[in-house]
Amino acid sequence: MNNYILLPVVGVGMLLIAALISNMIKFEAGANPKDPKKRKGIFWLLFLLNPGVTYAVGILTSPASGIAKTKHMESLPIGLVIGVVVYLLVGFVISKVMKTSKLGHWF
Amino acid sequence: MADKLFVIGIGGTGMRCLESFVHLCAIGMFDNQEINVLTLDTDATNGNLERVRKLMALYSDIKSGTTKDGGTPNNNTFFSAKLNLYGFNTDYNSTSRSTYRNISRLTEGESSKQNKLLSDLFLDTNSVQEFNLAHGYRAQTHLGSHLMYHGIIEAARNLSAGGDVSSAERDLDEFIQKISKAGEEARVFIFGSVFGGTGASSIPVIPTAHSDAMKVRSQGKSPLDDTKVKFGSTLLTEYFSFKKPDQAEMSTKADSVIADSSFFPLNSQAALQFYQGDPTVQNVYKRLYHVGWPLESKSMDKNSSNKTITGGATQKNPCHFVELVCACAAFDFFNADDLKAEGKAEYLYRTGEFENGAFNFKASDLVGNQKNIDERLIDKLGAFLSLAHITLTKKEAGFGNKGFAGLRNQLEQNNIDSYSTVTDKELDQLDEYMRLFGYYFDSSNNFQSGWIYQIRESLQPGNFIFANAAFSKSVKELKGLDVGKLYEDENYHWEKGGVFGDTYQTFIKSLTKLSLDDSAHLVNHTKEKFIAHLHDGIMASQSNR
Repeated sequence: MNNYILLPVVGVGMLLIAALISNMIKFEAGANPKDPKKRKGIFWLLFLLNPGVTYAVGILTSPASGIAKTKHMESLPIGLVIGVVVYLLVGFVISKVMKTSKLGHWF
Repeated sequence: MADKLFVIGIGGTGMRCLESFVHLCAIGMFDNQEINVLTLDTDATNGNLERVRKLMALYSDIKSGTTKDGGTPNNNTFFSAKLNLYGFNTDYNSTSRSTYRNISRLTEGESSKQNKLLSDLFLDTNSVQEFNLAHGYRAQTHLGSHLMYHGIIEAARNLSAGGDVSSAERDLDEFIQKISKAGEEARVFIFGSVFGGTGASSIPVIPTAHSDAMKVRSQGKSPLDDTKVKFGSTLLTEYFSFKKPDQAEMSTKADSVIADSSFFPLNSQAALQFYQGDPTVQNVYKRLYHVGWPLESKSMDKNSSNKTITGGATQKNPCHFVELVCACAAFDFFNADDLKAEGKAEYLYRTGEFENGAFNFKASDLVGNQKNIDERLIDKLGAFLSLAHITLTKKEAGFGNKGFAGLRNQLEQNNIDSYSTVTDKELDQLDEYMRLFGYYFDSSNNFQSGWIYQIRESLQPGNFIFANAAFSKSVKELKGLDVGKLYEDENYHWEKGGVFGDTYQTFIKSLTKLSLDDSAHLVNHTKEKFIAHLHDGIMASQSNR
């Protein structure tokens, strides 16, 4: 599959994982709950992991040889950047749209 | 037009009933009402009086915005009723006013001989005429009625004469003037016992004393007709006892009379006969609620004290379930659609289920079930208890931390910053109220029961609405408490938040999702909005059941 499509999809997938984990983190009791920091931490942790995972997916989905592989590898960095940007951008939009929810803690 | 509401708490028991009444106001049972409250006592230093006045002042501060005006009535929220506070106490502090003999000046004037003979006929010369009145009437109701009436009329005369008028006298005057102005639209409910001293002495004479005080103030043209004003009261019989005084304690003239709780049942019986037969009481009161506790009276003695406490700051008895029953009687009286304006008093009572030596009360045993009012009591009391555990237990205000500030911070963390202007001092007042309602651990880490814990303790081994877990005193159990599962009946439990979540998750989710409708709650300032937001968050959590 084209890296320009696949890698942003991987970015979105990472975002879904971040959302899932963030929602699983409970609202803490106590006078100064730390759960918002944990959610923010998860978002940025997956942001840091995103290039590596995206790159790995790009490598794993690469054709074995030939022009197709060359083209695939050429488009990999751009797709990777798009994937990371998509993660960041969509994450920001979701956080602002759902600002009073747990995902609002990302930004 | 809705009737104007007035409440009078008299004596130690009356103050504790008033305490329950204030908590009913806090949970939101008196939506959109303005209630005038008068505390009436002989003992200005009484611990129970001090406690309820502190509670009402706190309530008023919580309701107030930038000015200390006690706020405005709100709708469908906590602290929804506005309370106007008044206080009057008869002055028996100076030597010239410390005993009946001194205050009545029996040896002065032209009729001194007749006065003395009359006094000696009704009041024992060496004890009743001589004991110190500063701690109340000590179960001598024949003397107490006479002196309470005198105290109110004396205040009215003093006010009419001008000059050195005390703030307590001004409070009494304003309160009576308000009743007079409301006239037939006034509903006045009086809290006090019929077995003790101050309350038992005052309940029969208060309507007449108020009417006569107005007569004095209006120079003979009284606009207050005590048969037109709707008076109601409880006929609260004995439910507590204390150490029998010994001869050594009664050796001085000042303590020649000390109330003996072993006579309380007899006092109650005599009082009930009086209330059943007295034509003045029957004509003035519209409703009288029989409230009693048929089990063994609970001892109020503190282990450390060997002395019978006659009054003063040390008389700070814990609250009892019957006081909540009395507060619910006031609720019934204020909400009765069928209250007769004329005619003789109605005598009302309700009963609860009693099995295996314990009561199992339902909400309908306290407030009836017309218009689902029992469900309202269950929801509101449960909601406030949940809020208490959220702030005291989850946010740790019961352990010395800042509970409401924690909730405000939680909202801010979820980008709801409309309440940032509520000050830490205001939030601390809410924490303080919750500690008085629920519990707290003191500086020595000892558990201190608040009102609802005390109510529960007085009922044990019986039950009322909530599960035992809701009243745990163990830190470990409290830490694991599910704030939406406080009811005995599981049908009232909130749905838990998610697969692994508890009901605290449900509450925070509800809190952060909702948008507050200011106009529906009639809220004006930010603190009221914050309280209404918390109320709605809990109600939304309750609806997930």
